[in-house]
Amino acid sequence: MGFRGEIGLEQGFDPLVVFREGFGFVPNLVLAQSALARAMAAHAKLEEAVTFRDGAISRIHKEQILLSIAADRRDNYCSALDSGLLCSLGVPEAQIDDLLNDCGQARLSAPDRALLEFCLRLSRSASSVRCHDIEALQAQEFSDEAILEAVVVTALALYRCTLSVALAPQSDFMPPNLSQKKKPAASGSRLTAAANGSRPSAKKKGSYLPAPYLSPNTFAPFAVIQKSHGFIPNFFRSQTLRPDLLQAELEAVGAVLLTEDFLTRVQKESILLTVSAANLNSYCVAVHCNMLRGLGLSAEEADQIAVDHHLSDISKADIALLDFAVKLGAHFSEFSREDTANLETLGFTPVQILEGAVVTALNNFANTLQMGLGIEPDFASPLVFETNKVNPSGAATTLMPREGVVHFAATLQDADSELVSRAQDGNLEAFEELARRHSQLIYRTLVAILGDAADAQDAMQDTLLSAFKGVGGFQGRSKFSTWLVSIARNAALQRLRSRRNIESLDQICNDEDGDFRPRQVRAWQANPEQWHSKTEIRELVEKGLLQIPAKYRVVVVLRDIEQLSSEEVARQLGLSVPAVKTRLLRARLMLREWLSPHLAESSKGAAR
Amino acid sequence: MITCEEFFGEFADYLEGQVSPEVREELELHLSQCHACHVLYDSSRKTIKIVSESNSFELPQKVFDPIIDRVMAKLRTDRS
Repeated sequence: MGFRGEIGLEQGFDPLVVFREGFGFVPNLVLAQSALARAMAAHAKLEEAVTFRDGAISRIHKEQILLSIAADRRDNYCSALDSGLLCSLGVPEAQIDDLLNDCGQARLSAPDRALLEFCLRLSRSASSVRCHDIEALQAQEFSDEAILEAVVVTALALYRCTLSVALAPQSDFMPPNLSQKKKPAASGSRLTAAANGSRPSAKKKGSYLPAPYLSPNTFAPFAVIQKSHGFIPNFFRSQTLRPDLLQAELEAVGAVLLTEDFLTRVQKESILLTVSAANLNSYCVAVHCNMLRGLGLSAEEADQIAVDHHLSDISKADIALLDFAVKLGAHFSEFSREDTANLETLGFTPVQILEGAVVTALNNFANTLQMGLGIEPDFASPLVFETNKVNPSGAATTLMPREGVVHFAATLQDADSELVSRAQDGNLEAFEELARRHSQLIYRTLVAILGDAADAQDAMQDTLLSAFKGVGGFQGRSKFSTWLVSIARNAALQRLRSRRNIESLDQICNDEDGDFRPRQVRAWQANPEQWHSKTEIRELVEKGLLQIPAKYRVVVVLRDIEQLSSEEVARQLGLSVPAVKTRLLRARLMLREWLSPHLAESSKGAAR
Repeated sequence: MITCEEFFGEFADYLEGQVSPEVREELELHLSQCHACHVLYDSSRKTIKIVSESNSFELPQKVFDPIIDRVMAKLRTDRS
């Protein structure tokens, strides 16, 4: 699932030219990335779209936001860069000094101050931002485009600062003397007061800003995402006010994440997952769990990395890589040279470490954007962070203690758990009870894959024997019933294999989904059920189910008949959620075609 | 207004109730004006309802009991 090559960087794109045009020179922060040309290119794409291109807010305003955030994070390099740039844009030194010191004191108009305060809060504790913060800016007459830009500029500030912490470049300008300045975010400052005054507003559906509909037919990048993901994540949908920005982000993602030359994609997705979890960003956690599954990890492995990567089955070196990223991305003030040196001792090359830092920077860009725009989840997250427990006035590093964050395994309330633990101790009665409890679910899974009732009944015996053999290894990370379905699935596949039923096997294991278009256009009866008996309908549906390919049948049986969520179906079948969605739609449409001649308006009473 | 093609692109999410309010508005506007898509939506919704309530492949527990009994007998023999 990649869109590299399709949303690639154009030929002859020279990041250095972009920086020279935008800044008048190439900052050392960029030169420090020269070992990884595609990282420089990604950075250039983002700066070009976010900072250099004229938009709803002026370049000076953008630089003011960038400077205030850099100063607030006590980032010497970025503060010097932004002060130098503001100076060259003709902003008086006294004003720059005010921004460096305490933007609360800076001589700004009321709306400008409100915008700056919003950006600072987003940078410090993104999870405290709520819809009413956006509404307050709209009340100050900021356009939706301006607010979107402010959020993206804040995200870019964190991208730059994360890189600056990791790469520690030489200053381009004489560094401003931050050490003598007041501590940022002193308690009682206006900013803190504003943050404390925030109240969680009634949850509103959808992201905070309107986003016009962009069609995959007219906006090529969406067609590519649609093809690779099966759907367009809300993350991208929420930014359609600025298609050029979306394009730049996709190019940056392509350049940084979708390559395998230094760090693997699994390593990079794991970084995105753990740092998003440390930043309490449920949306991004859900996305990257899902991506990891798409890359072949089981749902349990991905969840474990999100919950606590130290307990997952990854190598010691990878654990250290994730520790490095979490410190850099979520606890930057604790980050030191030693963290980099530690990775070198474990055998990571300087380019791999650089890439790890760039991935972390891009993660913070995305986390900030998601929280600033209030982007709604595409699918359920395995982790739910209680954002109201996050101290909204604290510095960015104030996070909930890890043990307070998740009790994922514990929150899976599984009515079977007591019987399971007895069965694990070898208690046969407990196992028998579990088998009876779930026999219908097991049978449905088997018949859905095998397509034959007698076969399915035979395969139940194999399933139960395997389940008993394997129950000791069941770790309770998923529901027991989920685990049973995966055992049933394996038993069914084994049966097809032993019979060399290649056709069915191929149907199930083949990932390709050809195009399927609905053909029946006759309107249906208003209440089809009232014209046919329950038995008639059941026979009709079963016949329909048996004539669609097994890979569609199994998804629709588990989703619509067993009423499991798409996420559960994905786990049980080892599929990605988008793949489940695609197959589910296909299955429903096929069944619709099958039912249509019987249930269309002109066919009342003609069920067969 | 969006095209039928665009409507179909969102159809899976719409059936699952997983579209943003903005997209939903676009889709519903389209549905109110396009007969073919309206038929597709209405019949798909009914398909889901009928399939969900069909009790397909449901067997009485008494069909499963002998299977489970056989398995348990085997496990008990293996143990002793």
